[in-house]
Amino acid sequence: MKILVCISNVPDTTTKVKFVDSDTKLDTTGIQWVINPWDELSLTRALELKDDPSAGVKSVTVAHVGLPASEPTIRKALAIGADDAFRVNAAPADSYFVAAQLAAVIRKEQYDVILCGIESSDYNGSMTGGMVAEFLGIPSVSAVSDIKIENGSPLLTREIDGGREIVTVPMPFVAIVQKGIAKEPRIASMRGIMTSRTKPVRLYEPEAEEPLTGIKVYEKPSPRAACKFIDPENAGQLITLLQNEAKII
Amino acid sequence: MIRQVVFALALLATVGVFAFTIRRIVSFFRHTRPGYPVRQIGKRFVIMLKVAFGQTKIFSRPVTGLAHALVFWGFCIILFGSIEMVIDGLAGTERSLSFLGGFYDFLMGSGDIFAYIVAIAVIIFLVRRIFIHIRRFEGIEMKKISHIDAIVALSMILLLMISLAGMNIGYAGGTIISGEPVKGVYPVSTWLARLIGNESPEFMHTLYEVCWWTHILSIFVFANMLPYSKHFHVFMSVPNVFLSRLEPLGKLTNMDNVTREVKLMMNPETAFSAASSDAPVERFGVKDAEDVVWKTYFDSLSCTECGRCTSVCPANITGKKLSPRKVMMDLRARMKEKGPLMTSNGRDYSDNKSLLRDYITEEELWACTTCNACASECPININHPSLIVDMRRYLVMEEASAPGELKTVFSNIENNGAPWQYSSEDRMLWARDLNFSIPLMSDCAANGTTPEYLFWVGCAGAFDDRYKKVVRSFAKILNHLKISYAVLGREETCNGDPARRAGNEMLFQMQALQVIEVLKSYGVKKIITTCPHCSNIFKNEYPDLGGSYEVINYLQFLNRYAAEGKLGINPGSLKGKAVTYHDPCYLGRANEIYDEPRALLKRLSGGFTEMERHGSFALCCGAGGAQMFKEAEKGEKEVFIERTEEALRSGAEVIASACPFCMTMLTDGLKYKNRENDVRNLDMAELVAQSLEL
Repeated sequence: MKILVCISNVPDTTTKVKFVDSDTKLDTTGIQWVINPWDELSLTRALELKDDPSAGVKSVTVAHVGLPASEPTIRKALAIGADDAFRVNAAPADSYFVAAQLAAVIRKEQYDVILCGIESSDYNGSMTGGMVAEFLGIPSVSAVSDIKIENGSPLLTREIDGGREIVTVPMPFVAIVQKGIAKEPRIASMRGIMTSRTKPVRLYEPEAEEPLTGIKVYEKPSPRAACKFIDPENAGQLITLLQNEAKII
Repeated sequence: MIRQVVFALALLATVGVFAFTIRRIVSFFRHTRPGYPVRQIGKRFVIMLKVAFGQTKIFSRPVTGLAHALVFWGFCIILFGSIEMVIDGLAGTERSLSFLGGFYDFLMGSGDIFAYIVAIAVIIFLVRRIFIHIRRFEGIEMKKISHIDAIVALSMILLLMISLAGMNIGYAGGTIISGEPVKGVYPVSTWLARLIGNESPEFMHTLYEVCWWTHILSIFVFANMLPYSKHFHVFMSVPNVFLSRLEPLGKLTNMDNVTREVKLMMNPETAFSAASSDAPVERFGVKDAEDVVWKTYFDSLSCTECGRCTSVCPANITGKKLSPRKVMMDLRARMKEKGPLMTSNGRDYSDNKSLLRDYITEEELWACTTCNACASECPININHPSLIVDMRRYLVMEEASAPGELKTVFSNIENNGAPWQYSSEDRMLWARDLNFSIPLMSDCAANGTTPEYLFWVGCAGAFDDRYKKVVRSFAKILNHLKISYAVLGREETCNGDPARRAGNEMLFQMQALQVIEVLKSYGVKKIITTCPHCSNIFKNEYPDLGGSYEVINYLQFLNRYAAEGKLGINPGSLKGKAVTYHDPCYLGRANEIYDEPRALLKRLSGGFTEMERHGSFALCCGAGGAQMFKEAEKGEKEVFIERTEEALRSGAEVIASACPFCMTMLTDGLKYKNRENDVRNLDMAELVAQSLEL
């Protein structure tokens, strides 16, 4: 069984987002790029399955659509334990474009289980996984919180309203995973880092596809108003403020 | 003549067995890794004279310490007589060294007195072991065999002393009866011989002969028993002290093989290209007995299981599984098991067991606060934390295994340059509404000025709301004193301390090499810090990676200014208030800064009071060694509560501390004990700033 983990390259969560070119482009100066947290957890679960001999996982591959600048993120995934990787050499314009590029390579390379994070922490589009499955004409299961492989067949746990359901699905399939799929992301071992330098990363040139969406302008949320502190002795003032200023009572 | 032949055969057997044992142990040492080179011989002699022959560290417990010291000194003196007995035995002479005259009389006389003193001390030790329940001698590692081992060795020493006394009584008694001249002086034995009265000369002679043979043969047997028991200590402890690590306790050894990898990785030319074939096959960190450096194995052989380390271990005191004594005993036992297998099958031989997990569990390793109380307390300078950290290094770097919270800390340090998830852009928020501006290194460089000091704010100073007040206070003092300083601001990043102490040597070195580059670009020569962990790492550990600076902890700085009269402390600000001081491990034991805070507090207040455990015996707050960022292991109590209770027992209204982690722990402790209204936990910088009315 071959597992593919699709990873997105996103700014670290502590990044102070800024824009340039009249708020049409992200200012990338000084940004620390990391593996999208959902993808990092899928990778961790994929590696856990590979570590379990009964699951019969032969290899874990990492897929990425991005420019050479995202190489360190791919190497990080390899350091954590993926066996190899491929990168489609194109800027990830939108979900449709990324899904199309991923699908084109998956058709050539053939994988049994394709894992996509439910969303990426930058644009939170939540579309790529479903689109990949559509392009390939294979089933997709969304909001997966656990994957098990029993006697060679996958068992997926989905979080649904008020409970969970456990589903089976024929391979190949796309699992769109959410947090909970692994307890915490795996860290890279020293030997993992050392071997990551020489693990193969296959490079594909992009298929001729046009993105369906484009960014017109970015707007930041208005800054939060300053917090008002009220002396515990002045409980009356709190009530006045809640009534007249906040208008919530 | 027969007597000489018998003696020679006995000696030959002794030496033969002993040589066999030593060869075996030397072969075990061959499996270990090279450690530091033994240099500075002069300094080592001084330490050996002080710690080993002077028995200085053992006196931390005065009564048992004195008893042990007397036994040790007694052994040293009596050894001379034993050498003479070997010469006499081989040559058929009697008291062959008596030609030494007065010196001989001195040695024999003091040896005679010591024989009785040692005997009494050993009886006391036996009574303590057998009849009095002493907590220090218990613990999960103290199996029945450990107790038997101790009792057998003590009984053996008692037999040695009784036979020596008998020998001396027989000799002295014999000379009294015969009127022959006495060689040497035997004050106690002569007195006892007189007390026995006028026995026959034959009786005295037989007593002498029987005791002579008993004594020397016991020595032969004892010498060969020792290497197989914990009392190998008798041979190993003096050399172990001589071979001590000379560096401050706070310093961890640099892993050069990691430095090589990190440098490859940080160089864009080699980052993704170096061949994996040039990777070292050697394991990172310690998994099994053969991974330790020779000195650590030496430590384990020298350990006599006295348990002083464990009795001061904050984790052990609060009921966690970790026991530093056990760690040393486990290493010794594991080498005893695996050493012979490696000797016959090669160093790579695996018996599918390892020191890690089969002997020492992960739970024990992660409970260590690296407070160094064990190493500081060990009478023979055993260094337990270095082994514990080396085993963590194996877990993190080879198995990528660590408690979940620490994995998050690693990711945070890697991604946003702080153990907590905060943006480096927020690093100057602590200085937001000060009524003066904090100079930035980048601005100074732009203006072409070079400040005298870099004030390293640290991650807690930048992001911890409580500790921000401390760095603000210190900045106010710097400003007040018109010190030429600047901070790095957004360019500051974690210097890697929590990563290193949690075993992530690679992440530490990546951070360190980055920081060193930044400091180099600004030509930084002097660093001043409030955080003791930052002080320690800059002072003791950065030089190994090429970053050498004059590092000043703020307490040293403040005390110097106060002593020079440049700091106009108003002694009224704390008057009438009882103040105690909590020694941060990384200031105290790690770097021996004990006097400065006390001198400062005495200037500030008339009511300075010490906690029960203070100075080098101070109990850790529980947060060191990256414990700050994770849940404590299962135990009976949290360390911070134990320490807060102790601080409260001192009757202090103000608990002064000098470390961001200690501050968090003690403040939490006061909340837990519902005492935050009447007892305050303040940092030394805050107390000084307060007295200066800043």
